Amino acid sequence: MSLAIPNGLDNTVERPGERAPLVLGDTTYHDITETVCRVAETKPSKGWVIGFLIAFALLQWLGICIAYLFYTGVGVWGNRSPIFWGWPIVNFVFWVGIGHAGTLISAILFLFRQEWRTSINRAAEAMTIFAVACAGTFPGIHVGRAWLAFWLAPYPSLNLWMWPQFRSPLLWDVFAVSTYGTVSLLFWYMGMVPDLATFRDRSKNKYRRMAYGILSLGWTGSSRHWIRYEKAYALLAAFAAPLVLSVHTIVSFDFAVSQVPGWHTTIFPPYFVAGAIFSGFAMVLTLMVPARSMLGLEKLITIRHLDNMCKIILATGSIVGLAYGTEFFIAWYGQVPDEQYAFINRAFGPYWWAYWTMITCNVISPQLFWVKKFRTTPWIIVLITIFVNIGMWFERFVIVVTSLSRDYLPSAWAYFSPTWVDWSMLIGSFGLFFTLFLLFCKLMPVINMAETKSTLAKQYHMAHNEPTTPTEH
Amino acid sequence: MSDDKNEKKIHGIVAEYTSVDTLLAACRRVRDAGYTKTDAYTPFAVHGIDKALGIKPTVLPWLALAGGLTGTCTALTMQIWMNGLNYPYIISGKPFVLSLPAFIPVAFELTILFASFCTFFGMWALNGLPRFSNPIFTDPRFDRVTDDRFFLYIDSKDKSFDAKGVEKLLGETGTEYINSVVDDDSPTTIPKFLIVGLCVLIGLSIIPALIVAKMRVTTSSQPRFHIFPDMDFSPARDAQQTTTLFADNRAMRPDVPGTVARGQMDADLNFLTGIDMDKFAQVDSDRAEQLVRTYLTPLAAEGEEPTAGAAASNEKSVMETTPWLEQNPLEISDAVVRQGQQQFNIYCSVCHGMDGRGNGLVNQRAQKIMAATWVPPSSLHQDVLYADQYPDGKLFNTISNGIRKMPGYAGQIKAKDRWAIVTYVRALQKSQNASMDLVPASEKSKVEKQKNQVDKALAEAAEAERKKEEERAAKAAAQK
Repeated sequence: MSLAIPNGLDNTVERPGERAPLVLGDTTYHDITETVCRVAETKPSKGWVIGFLIAFALLQWLGICIAYLFYTGVGVWGNRSPIFWGWPIVNFVFWVGIGHAGTLISAILFLFRQEWRTSINRAAEAMTIFAVACAGTFPGIHVGRAWLAFWLAPYPSLNLWMWPQFRSPLLWDVFAVSTYGTVSLLFWYMGMVPDLATFRDRSKNKYRRMAYGILSLGWTGSSRHWIRYEKAYALLAAFAAPLVLSVHTIVSFDFAVSQVPGWHTTIFPPYFVAGAIFSGFAMVLTLMVPARSMLGLEKLITIRHLDNMCKIILATGSIVGLAYGTEFFIAWYGQVPDEQYAFINRAFGPYWWAYWTMITCNVISPQLFWVKKFRTTPWIIVLITIFVNIGMWFERFVIVVTSLSRDYLPSAWAYFSPTWVDWSMLIGSFGLFFTLFLLFCKLMPVINMAETKSTLAKQYHMAHNEPTTPTEH
Repeated sequence: MSDDKNEKKIHGIVAEYTSVDTLLAACRRVRDAGYTKTDAYTPFAVHGIDKALGIKPTVLPWLALAGGLTGTCTALTMQIWMNGLNYPYIISGKPFVLSLPAFIPVAFELTILFASFCTFFGMWALNGLPRFSNPIFTDPRFDRVTDDRFFLYIDSKDKSFDAKGVEKLLGETGTEYINSVVDDDSPTTIPKFLIVGLCVLIGLSIIPALIVAKMRVTTSSQPRFHIFPDMDFSPARDAQQTTTLFADNRAMRPDVPGTVARGQMDADLNFLTGIDMDKFAQVDSDRAEQLVRTYLTPLAAEGEEPTAGAAASNEKSVMETTPWLEQNPLEISDAVVRQGQQQFNIYCSVCHGMDGRGNGLVNQRAQKIMAATWVPPSSLHQDVLYADQYPDGKLFNTISNGIRKMPGYAGQIKAKDRWAIVTYVRALQKSQNASMDLVPASEKSKVEKQKNQVDKALAEAAEAERKKEEERAAKAAAQK
């Protein structure tokens, strides 16, 4: 398997004293504009149309399932005593976790001045928004009478004469996830405005120009604007960084503040956050590797980008593995028989298959990334990251279902089996996600052109003394 | 430049550059020449341009701080007021007002949310955006500002603005293109279809809200339109409906053979009152009728049995005139006696004592504290309470309705259990008068042995008590 390096350039080789180029080839500012705008300006390819039709069909199926659920009631799910938190909550935690990589790439890597983030942050942020939309669906429809879900909001209700209970982690979730969704949306949109202005200025069609004109708010690229814009961007990144850590921490509180063996542990917040970053990066790679070759973005999203993300997966995957080990250690060291039983049961009880799928996918498969060849070969990356996604879904399944199915009282033990509606909704949520993502690829700038150009400008700036100057076209 | 352009107002002059470095140099030059109303337009944020142009730092961070603090205060006030003051509600023993650890997550989230809103909207407001019409867009080459070109602009409002001078200054900064920015002559009106479309959209969006508002204040004889069934419809059948589920197509199922309907047992008045009602009707039809009416009126709650009929009038005459049941209506068996014993021990023994001699724990306590109102419970072993003088029906009636200070137990003990207690009381009475002849031969020696032991123990206890008493008396005498 050869390394698919465009233009025969390999930016994964470390050259001492030199920064690896982030953008490959004889790329100019205009090349970046062309490469990115072409994606949105050309007619959709056959692959895109087929992909969109499949995703859209799945989305319709999700809608039908939700209508069926509303009409019939939550009994259509496999959630039964004692596993009242079944599949939907597994999906919720899974999707919220997926969202984390986007904010992490755009906020934390920004604060650490990791410039390689510029060509992947846009798509990753979009992924965050869409993942949060998928995540929000599940608790929304899980409340039984979903059309009354607005009762969770603290508003002066004349029907209820009461307020939500702020001492409940489930209400914290409402605030955490909605704040996360809102701030991510603002961050994503704000980052897109200069690029939308590029779209506006390039559009030949009157209506297209009007639509992008409205979306880009009359952006001129004024330096005075840029300075405030950059400050605002840095501030939002600074707010989003603790926010992203808080969201999954609060999601983990749902479990950790309860008394169920296997849930009631203080390791949950850091362990959930690491898992979220792990699964989020895996999803970014699963999406970006095919997208980059299909949309012709190899010069901007280089092998080095993939390599860096694989390293993050390796690091977070190892953290997750350590957390699994720590859970077992504490169960043994804590000497609580129910806790010990919960963990032995996870590995060797009726859900052994889920547990060992999780271990194989989450602990063993990312370790392959120690090998540089695997980190730099796109198809292997996709394969491993799909395994990681499967593993992380199973992690949530193992936590939710095994703990509830083996509580303190053997008389309350039961085995969870999903129904066809459970399966349909999981698959349908992927339909929602991919529909939105494919629309995004077609309608919005998939790469942050302005920021990528600014890193390119820096490269030119640094290369001043060398004979190569930016090529004018 | 055409003549047409000269008629329009000149807003400023713009120059185009192809690289960051030429732009920065030009900016410095313009700044040093004393121009302040200047701006550079770039496809990306150029670092160092604030110094090159002399742009002051922004107040945005302060806005964000204010927003963040507002968020924290809002969240804490909201939570404390809602969960501590307006709707206090105790959860896991957490304090009402200052459950601070529980309030932190929401406070944190709202801090971030408000700060982000202030940053986001504050930034656009400070930038004066959205602003869709801008004279600079009239420049034919300005479209490339979002692609790969850099522009420097000097506004005509600048104190030292002079078109010729500015053009000359810019000409020396390595630019190939200098142009005056003039009025935007594109139509300023919003296209009609947009306005109409917007109005239609707003109009349509009000309709659902109006429908909901109307439905909330009107009553209707028609059933509600159910968007969500809300578990209002049950698949259960009504009594006279048909079904295909059973062979006889009746939704209403006949009783399974041997079924005892609720309250069916209570219909036996003899059983319930302990009185032979047929005889009673002959002797005293008035009171009999009253009893029947009380027991068989649906309003009489289950177990709530009247004292009026039997117990209200003169006790002696009731004793004489009422045809009490002589026979316990229960079929006597070991199980019934055991049931009676259990119920007796639960309800009766506290006063009457386990052996029925009237010295239960309550009585002992009452004697000890010398309760003035205390009427000691009867010993069940006095002659008047034996079956020959006190019929089973009367005993049942006493348990049901009480006597003297004893309350009625009809509300607490089921009729069947009351009869079982009657059985047990009879057994207790018998046990006190049992002769050795009644004991089976095989058990005789054992029972005699036990009897001797008990007698001996009793005698010893009495002796010990007597001695103690003597000692006490002697001590008291000595002290005197």
